Amino acid sequence: MQNDTTLIQHLKNKDERALSLLYDKYSGAIYSVILKMIRDEGKAQNILQDTFMTVWDKAENYDADKGRFYTWLYRIAKNKTLNVLRKTDPLIQTDDFSVHTNKEDAIPIDTEYLELKGAITTLETHHKEAIELVYFKGLTHREAHKEMDVPLGTFKSYVRQALKQLKETYAKTLSFILLILNAL
Amino acid sequence: MDKKTLLENGLLEQYLLGELNAKEREQIEQLLASDAELKTHFDQLEQNFETLGLENTVTPPVKVKTQLLEGIKSSSNATKVVDLKSNNNSKWYLGIAASIAGLLMIGSFWMYNQLNQVKQQLQTVETNNTELNTTIEVLNKELRDTNTFYTAIVNPDTEQYILKGNDLLPEAKVVSYVNHKTKSVVINTERLPKLDDNHDYQMWADVEGEMINMGVIAKDKTLMTMAYIDHAESLNITIEPAGGNDHPTVEKLVTNVYLN
Repeated sequence: MQNDTTLIQHLKNKDERALSLLYDKYSGAIYSVILKMIRDEGKAQNILQDTFMTVWDKAENYDADKGRFYTWLYRIAKNKTLNVLRKTDPLIQTDDFSVHTNKEDAIPIDTEYLELKGAITTLETHHKEAIELVYFKGLTHREAHKEMDVPLGTFKSYVRQALKQLKETYAKTLSFILLILNAL
Repeated sequence: MDKKTLLENGLLEQYLLGELNAKEREQIEQLLASDAELKTHFDQLEQNFETLGLENTVTPPVKVKTQLLEGIKSSSNATKVVDLKSNNNSKWYLGIAASIAGLLMIGSFWMYNQLNQVKQQLQTVETNNTELNTTIEVLNKELRDTNTFYTAIVNPDTEQYILKGNDLLPEAKVVSYVNHKTKSVVINTERLPKLDDNHDYQMWADVEGEMINMGVIAKDKTLMTMAYIDHAESLNITIEPAGGNDHPTVEKLVTNVYLN
């Protein structure tokens, strides 16, 4: 697989194949986030398509010095999803997290899509929930600490600790993989 | 804002997740650009978030990608040229498709030309065939005539009488073949001098002093059949106005022969 730097350079030169490859690499992760935020497959698919359309149109705006491509992509998708959620119900305020619990109209989606997988499942419940709220449900820290009913400072430390543990898990996985690779 | 506040307040996470406003973002970006250690920390954070995301992948339906690729094609014509240039696969297929189409077109054109040629040839052949048929008919008729003359002439019962020109036409000589059994008369007019358009030779049979018409001698034939007249005593040829006469102009009698 080509590395991202080359792909992104091609993408900026309007190479469809680069977009196609980047889509193949990241659409699943992004779709997962959108689905967990909006809980509507039809809308999620539209937002996903829209996100990559923006990636295509605004590729020159991406600055690799400021962060990873995935982070940029994540932010675009998240903003688009939040915009759709706000439009869907104008009464819902940006800082009102009830947006996620008050959606009778939504087509119920397969709960499998909402389940978390991987290293996050090994975390303690409150750590897991903190990450889930800010990362997969698109809440801000300010919204999320209310949702969890803990002070903002506490919530922030939950996030920090959760990330620290994830980092260690990934580092272990990485060294394990390296070990296997060495053994081979 | 300093590095310590940044780390303790979880601003880096919030920055990563896109929760901050433009001013805060700018400050953090400045710090990240100037502090390598902080940048490394942020890189790690990003990597972890990315891994987290990739671990939770939900594969979207294929149609989203199809629509996306269709969308970017229709969204901008200006990019299309570049797309084609860089997309070797589609260019390749496009090339093959174009080649096949081209070959088909050339093939069709060639076939069309061939068809026209064949049609033309067929027409020529048909014309030739008609001509040949006409020729065969003519030849057949001539053969029939010749055969008739031949059988008439070679028949053992046929008598040959020579009509020699008199003083009026001394160079004339007509050979007549008379068959009394089959009642036929054939004459050879090869040695009969040519007449102008206003006159014809006409043949007569003398039956008990009366001259009976045997027919006008055609100008374009050397062998021809004349009418057989019963009890003819002599054969006579006169020069008459074109088309023949009811009664012979005796002054213009050029030759005659008695039958025995």
